[in-house]
Amino acid sequence: MMQAISLLNILKPSSRFAASLQRRLCPSIAGATAPVSVHLLRNLSQSYRVSVPPPWCCVQHQEMASDDGQDPRISRISSVIRVIPDFPKPGIMFQDITTLLLDTKAFRDTIDLFVERYKDKNISVVAGIEARGFIFGPPIALAIGAKFVPMRKPHKLPGEVISEEYALEYGTDVMEMHVGAVEAGERALVVDDLIATGGTLCAAIRLLERVGVHVVECACVIELPELQGRKRLGDKPLFVLVSST
Amino acid sequence: MSACKDKDPRINGIKTTIRVVPDFPKPGIMFQDITPLFLQPKAFKDSIDIFIERYQGKNISVVAGIEARGFIFGPSIALAIGAKFVPLRKPKKLPGEVISEEYILEYGRDCLEMHVGAVEPGERALVVDDLIATGGTLCAAMNLLERVGAEVVECACVIELPDLKGRERLNGKPLYVLVEAY
Repeated sequence: MMQAISLLNILKPSSRFAASLQRRLCPSIAGATAPVSVHLLRNLSQSYRVSVPPPWCCVQHQEMASDDGQDPRISRISSVIRVIPDFPKPGIMFQDITTLLLDTKAFRDTIDLFVERYKDKNISVVAGIEARGFIFGPPIALAIGAKFVPMRKPHKLPGEVISEEYALEYGTDVMEMHVGAVEAGERALVVDDLIATGGTLCAAIRLLERVGVHVVECACVIELPELQGRKRLGDKPLFVLVSST
Repeated sequence: MSACKDKDPRINGIKTTIRVVPDFPKPGIMFQDITPLFLQPKAFKDSIDIFIERYQGKNISVVAGIEARGFIFGPSIALAIGAKFVPLRKPKKLPGEVISEEYILEYGRDCLEMHVGAVEPGERALVVDDLIATGGTLCAAMNLLERVGAEVVECACVIELPDLKGRERLNGKPLYVLVEAY
């Protein structure tokens, strides 16, 4: 690992990342014409044998287990989530789903897994949390015939909104929803890419419940179990595809 | 070039969901609010279907969506046509290596970012956003893609504000919209 890290320090950042990403995600083109950025990498490092493990190997992903073995699609989904160390600040291992979005099969499977779970549950509202919840929520909503309701940072939604303040590690933030988007008695799903401490999801649940909506479940691609978000949701069920420690 | 508004019966159902909110985000602006479209599952699905019908089978391998409302449309189109979805984001949101493109606002500047390595040279790309106004943001998006060697096939938006002449700013790149708003 230390040798890998010293190689990482020597190689030019943009080509290093681009090359490792493409090797990871484009196994089908290995041996075919290499993309431009991989050529750059070779030119810079003629004397090195470049076999730097992609950054996401640093963290173990545990897929969701079930009694009879996990869904075979989970493994691929888990493998294309990228971990970026020290983002947005030192010490944080950031779970980056954008690499999942580049893998058409894994992205399709992600949506299918949620749709299969929710399509016959009489859910009329999918609430997605800005901004990465906007990527997963609408395809689910469209497939199950539900409305999509964006839950946004302050001052983004025009017209009348209701607001919910919630605690951050330092300070507070605010989440907003349009007045009239949902009606009392509707059944809702809350979607985000990831649950960490659960603070954001709790704010979304509160907004919906304040207008009389029944939140059936929260759905995320990734859970960070050590941050105990699941516990913070209390009696609200949480469904995730990948649990990452 | 717009959808055949007169001929496609789905367009009217989409158009009537768009809500105008006066004086947002500041006095004098008539804001075209697309969020009520998402509350009508049939109309929302129709809007996505119209884009899918236009772009499937055109060998498009990248759908780039502009934060944040482009994220609501882009992924569904990408999934249906078998393309990657690439989010184009405000500064410092994307982790890891990015390339940045600065662009001019009415007052001041802003910046759009894309991940290094997300798109390969020679890929054919679509750029998606909810609305085109002056075209500044779409131009920045196209520049990002072209800088890494992708070919921008078309820009696709639900709404165009023709009075702001965004179409002309796109430097000859085709623009496809469902609804024009005056």
